[in-house]
Amino acid sequence: MFRSVASRAVPRVARPVTQSTFCAPNIYFQSQLRRGYASEAEEKDLVIIGGGVAGYVAAIKAGQSGMKVTCIEKRGALGGTCLNVGCIPSKSLLNNSHLYHQILHDTKNRGIEVGDVKLNLGAMMKAKETSVSGLTKGIEFLFKKNNVEYIKGTGAFQDEHTVAVNLVEGGETTVRGKNILIATGSEATPFPGLTIDEKKVITSTGAIALQEVPKKMVVIGGGIIGLEMGSVWSRLGAEVTVVEYLGQIGGPGMDADVAKQAQKLLQKQGMKFKLNTKVTAGDAGGEGVKINVEAAKGGKEETLDADVVLVAIGRRPYTNGLGLENIGLEVDERGRVIIDQEYRTKIPHIRAIGDVTFGPMLAHKAEEESVAVVEYMAKGYGHVNYGAIPSVMYTHPEVAWVGQNEQELKAANVKYNVGQFPFSANSRAKTNLDTEGFVKMISDAETDRILGIHIIGPNAGEMIAEGVLALEYGASSEDVARTSHAHPTLSEAFKEAAMATYDKAVHY
Amino acid sequence: MASIAAVCRLSARAASQQLRSHGTRRAFSTGQVSLAAQNFAMPALSPTMTEGNIAKWKVKEGDSFVAGDVLLEIETDKAQMDVEAQDDGVLAKILIGDGSKAVPVGARIAVTAEEGDDLSTLEIPAEESKPSKSEAPKEETKSKSAPVPKEERFSAPAPKSSASGASKSGAGEATKQTYPLYPSVQHLLKENGLPKEEADKIPATGPNGRLLKGDVLAYLGKINKSAGSEVAARLKTLSHLDLSNIKPMAQKPQPAPGKATAAPELPEVVEELDVEVALPISLKVVTEVQKRVQDSIGVFLPLSTFIARAAELANEELPRSQTAKPSADELFNAVLGLDKIAGKKFSRGNFVPQVTALPPTPVSTRISAAKKPDVLDFLTGKKAAAPKARVGGAAHVVGPLNVFSVSVPKGDERRGRVFLERVKSVLEAEPGRLVV
Repeated sequence: MFRSVASRAVPRVARPVTQSTFCAPNIYFQSQLRRGYASEAEEKDLVIIGGGVAGYVAAIKAGQSGMKVTCIEKRGALGGTCLNVGCIPSKSLLNNSHLYHQILHDTKNRGIEVGDVKLNLGAMMKAKETSVSGLTKGIEFLFKKNNVEYIKGTGAFQDEHTVAVNLVEGGETTVRGKNILIATGSEATPFPGLTIDEKKVITSTGAIALQEVPKKMVVIGGGIIGLEMGSVWSRLGAEVTVVEYLGQIGGPGMDADVAKQAQKLLQKQGMKFKLNTKVTAGDAGGEGVKINVEAAKGGKEETLDADVVLVAIGRRPYTNGLGLENIGLEVDERGRVIIDQEYRTKIPHIRAIGDVTFGPMLAHKAEEESVAVVEYMAKGYGHVNYGAIPSVMYTHPEVAWVGQNEQELKAANVKYNVGQFPFSANSRAKTNLDTEGFVKMISDAETDRILGIHIIGPNAGEMIAEGVLALEYGASSEDVARTSHAHPTLSEAFKEAAMATYDKAVHY
Repeated sequence: MASIAAVCRLSARAASQQLRSHGTRRAFSTGQVSLAAQNFAMPALSPTMTEGNIAKWKVKEGDSFVAGDVLLEIETDKAQMDVEAQDDGVLAKILIGDGSKAVPVGARIAVTAEEGDDLSTLEIPAEESKPSKSEAPKEETKSKSAPVPKEERFSAPAPKSSASGASKSGAGEATKQTYPLYPSVQHLLKENGLPKEEADKIPATGPNGRLLKGDVLAYLGKINKSAGSEVAARLKTLSHLDLSNIKPMAQKPQPAPGKATAAPELPEVVEELDVEVALPISLKVVTEVQKRVQDSIGVFLPLSTFIARAAELANEELPRSQTAKPSADELFNAVLGLDKIAGKKFSRGNFVPQVTALPPTPVSTRISAAKKPDVLDFLTGKKAAAPKARVGGAAHVVGPLNVFSVSVPKGDERRGRVFLERVKSVLEAEPGRLVV
């Protein structure tokens, strides 16, 4: 209460002083003061803290709906983790390392003989940076186009309507907003006992920027990030060992059949797996890193040597320095900002979306939420269907799924039908000499409504879009099966899996 | 209170429906030119809106408009929005003009008429609704003033959320199927000799009332009647974020009042602030300048202004803190190779000197990590609640020689000393620079 009164008092009291004494050519102070006034005066419709996927999409969307928007980002580059150090750069490396791996091991069988194949890691990294910088610049352009004010700095709540920004270029300003959106994202969860230096002990951030291919790499955590980055360095020549505490790779959402198949295929590519194994200690003091592991249920101990250890045990919400305590906002025990179904915190005009709050930490989930949250503000209703958000792992072959998996349905005591179709029976996969994997569809036993779709195979990530659409529309497997799919395409496997679910597949 | 709020909401809905039903009403009243004057009420632009400001009328009195024209701009607490005409017409009279504040939703703001009406003889209809009045009399006047069947008005589309909520909520109601039927549904209908129209009679459990294969199977009695709604209910739960069982993080022990605003992103803030760096600085020159300023232009500048400004200058580009661990961002920048560009050998400090007149009294000081000193704060005493370390009301600082001190984390003495020396040089050598 006091604060808001005081801040309003500031210009009134201070203005005469500025006019009479500060008019002399002290440019430094003048600019400082003037900046202070400008930001005090104007109240934005929406102030967004964070320029990642959640933040920048919301900013553009709000700009499009006519709101006055400010987006605060401290990295100096928009797009957040996803664009700068996550999805995008890793996909560049995955794609290019796959090409390299294929030329080394595969093209000969296809009648293409290549001479001396050499890896130029520097150039590969450069290709990655070109992709990233092109995309981040693109967002800045979109900001301009949609009248979004972009402030480079670190935002912190001063009071319920005011965000203080520590500018990247030095100095400070404040922004006032009728609505404030927290979209500060997440950071890699560190492993207790191992200090991240992004050189020897790395997170995904360091894993996209190693200067040389390590001889031995240990990946702690067999989830999607660990397997993708493990794949990259394994293809480029590293000996990669994945240590996973649980009995299956791929994280909790992946169907068990798919996870088993993925592990088998990745092993064939040279990755090693230690499942049901926990890391007890790590020592990065010496030349390399030593990791002590033991069986999860107790048992034999072992020490793994590595040049580089990738810590990929998950991510945690990032609210450091945000000043949540200044306005009395709470987080839950895992650090997530507490919200309601309309993304409101207990202060209704402050909302939170993306990794910093509940739900899966996925860029496209954040994107959906940012559209919905702006619609909630402007129109009072938004839409996100959390039951139809796809997950994709971009290894080779890719893994993609949407909806529930077989384990979950079993646990919930739901009766279901399963239809499965292998790519080895798909004509296009055969011509591509890329026949590993399958499509697995699960539908309700009585109504045939599709409950989950799980794909491991070439192009799974693109193919899952059809599954998401089917789920969103409440389709039955028969509906998919009765929809024409072009021949010869990989998507026919999708259709055949649907046929197998409610009836019988033709080609299997 | 609650009842008033309820009434307001009701009337808001009525008003927005009225807005929407303009189009239909016109269909009813074609040919009845003399009846065409209609009240135009403040629309509700969002379900929660109860009042708004009229920013600007875009159409002048007497001007005609066509459907889709922007009639006026309305400001709400959320945003500024355009209100578009739902139908062609003429703006007969503006009753609440530009810049009106807090106009309740449902209040009459203008009168519209149909093209070709003689505006001079037009009878202005009575106000249909007053938001503060109860619902009943309002409906009476409404049915008098406009010859629209009551049902028609209230069958205007209900808010989308409740509509989809109802259809999704389980039991499943028969809905008119406006989309092409799903292939499986078509197939089942044909196979079982049901005409296509039958589809509208089958209780539908799909999203937005769509008819699914399971619904037809249940209708045909081939599966359990409730199977479809059970699946729908299950999927509906999955479609929302699971916000049950939220366990708030255990409250950390309440920080001391001074610490309350500590912003953790500042690397200097370490738990143990153990080293105090101090430097005696003479304020003689400053007081001279102060006097000169007062004599020449008659404005008294408090000493705190000088000190705060000197601190501001001195905080620029201090040697990097030794104790600061590279933050995630710095590591991030290092990975991107941005650290070399930025040349981060220096960092901005956020020291606020503690001033004590000699002899120094031991005051426990700490860096005010709240935010960097802002001249405005000092000028207005805004940070009255801030820690004592602030130079707040520097009235007590009178002695010509004062000890300036800052406390820094161990290992960072150099940074603190550089800061103080800069403050000293500015204040002792050329304080005039601070005000001219």
